[in-house]
Amino acid sequence: MMASRRPYWSGYLKLSLVTCPVAMTSATSEAEKVRFHTLNKQTGNRVVSRYVDSVTGKPVKESDEAKGYERAEDDYVILTDKDLESVELETVRTIDIEKFVLRESIEWIYLETPFYLTPNDKIGDEAFAVIRDAMKAENVLGISRVVLGRRERAVVLEPRGKGIVVWTLRFGDEVRPEKDYFKDIDETPDADAKTEIERLIEKRTRRWSADMVSDPIQESLLKLIAKKKRALKSSKKPSRSHGEGKGSNVVDIMEALKRSVSKELKSRKSA
Amino acid sequence: MSAHRAQWKGHIKLGDISCGVGLYTAASAAERISFHLISKKTRNRLKREFVDSETEETVERADQVKGFELDNGDHIMIDPDEVTAVIPDSDKLLELEAFIPCADVDDIYFDKPYYLVPTDETSEPTFAALRDALSKCNATAIARTVLFRRMRTVLIRAHGRGLIATTLNFDYEVLPSEEAFDGVPKIKIDDEMLDLAKHIISTKRGTFDPAQFDDRYENALATLIKAKAEGRTLPRPKPVKVSKPGDLLQALQESAGLRSGSGKPKAANTNSKTRKRPASSDASGQRAKSTRKKAS
Repeated sequence: MMASRRPYWSGYLKLSLVTCPVAMTSATSEAEKVRFHTLNKQTGNRVVSRYVDSVTGKPVKESDEAKGYERAEDDYVILTDKDLESVELETVRTIDIEKFVLRESIEWIYLETPFYLTPNDKIGDEAFAVIRDAMKAENVLGISRVVLGRRERAVVLEPRGKGIVVWTLRFGDEVRPEKDYFKDIDETPDADAKTEIERLIEKRTRRWSADMVSDPIQESLLKLIAKKKRALKSSKKPSRSHGEGKGSNVVDIMEALKRSVSKELKSRKSA
Repeated sequence: MSAHRAQWKGHIKLGDISCGVGLYTAASAAERISFHLISKKTRNRLKREFVDSETEETVERADQVKGFELDNGDHIMIDPDEVTAVIPDSDKLLELEAFIPCADVDDIYFDKPYYLVPTDETSEPTFAALRDALSKCNATAIARTVLFRRMRTVLIRAHGRGLIATTLNFDYEVLPSEEAFDGVPKIKIDDEMLDLAKHIISTKRGTFDPAQFDDRYENALATLIKAKAEGRTLPRPKPVKVSKPGDLLQALQESAGLRSGSGKPKAANTNSKTRKRPASSDASGQRAKSTRKKAS
């Protein structure tokens, strides 16, 4: 269900004179999180956000919305998405691998967001595979840059399985200097505690498993929703409670919840 | 200890051993160029309003409640108190439940890093013991606690004089890489091509310090905005030439400098072709600091 996600970015992967079309998909998604809408307590209707003109106070249609760069006070240069494509930086479209570094040389603290990079057209399958396999054979990471979300980001490319993982790296000024936090820490460990901790580490070492990142609160929320649904069903007059629906919807409620829960379980299994 | 305020304070616990720690944000997101939303017609700024979808009247904060949407578009209304009730009380304990060898960690789950610092002097020897034990065993610790109103899993590892705790994304938030790469065809790569690519890699080996990276987008955008403001025609992006399968070998040969092609071989750029080991001269050196801290 998650595999059919639309790419977040598409463009080209380049190593020297070799170029192939690629697509980049986000490795994380909030799609399966239990999400709530905002309702109006008084009417039970949905609350929606809309844009209004700050001067006239009138609602503005989506087609009349534009991005404006404030050149001077209340004086905007309008930029369309097409205009933005004209930015003269090759990294808008191309991930050109500038250099290769040893695997351990990039500190974890710089890793920000992971993406999955895959070939985006048959024509580039082989070129993609050559770049990926050569990196794998040399046990290196590729370093490049690409424009994402109106910023040029340093990225790290890591071959993994049949694809390549692309990590955006945090900017230098985004990572707070560790010495501000760590400099006063005493270097001397309690020797007995250290021995005991080493013993426990050995005893409690496990394989990584996705079970370690389950979300018990999400499960509780699902249960809460299920309970409310049962209450609806037994009362058979659901409109009484905040007017959320007619009696005929009870079956749909069951289904929606079942689907939510089974989605949950499936994602856990596949992880 | 530091000018910033702790996001969370509590105790790390392992068996009978415990020490007081504070959790501090280690990374913050930098700002990017922000645009304002404006009306094309009036060129005034827009502002956001929250309105009832039926009556179109503004809904006050106090009247906004959560609802779970059912398939038919109806909602079950959920009281904020009910949501609060499912969040367990925080025991302010980071109990180390399991340890994972550093090499075994799936970094795809990484969310945000925090610095972990002992809260008081009596906690320091124990804190240092945990730090040194983790680093000696090349291990990371897994702990769970209520953080920001959610039960979060954090991965704790030694880093310099301190510890770094990284929150991990939930299982259902992460697409497994095998699934994402499922559709990529398996291709047997010709040895000659692989060797050429490996050679190209060897000419581009270097070091990289993310702290020295500069974002060139802002400048490029400033140029674009100026052009647009002056009413000039904006340049159209040049089409990118893709290597055709039949030309792949030649492109690799030219990149490796073994064959001069039609274009100028800007391939191996300024790096010397013979360099094999990570070095830090010329191109690499500009961005790399000569003193690198040990990788964590």
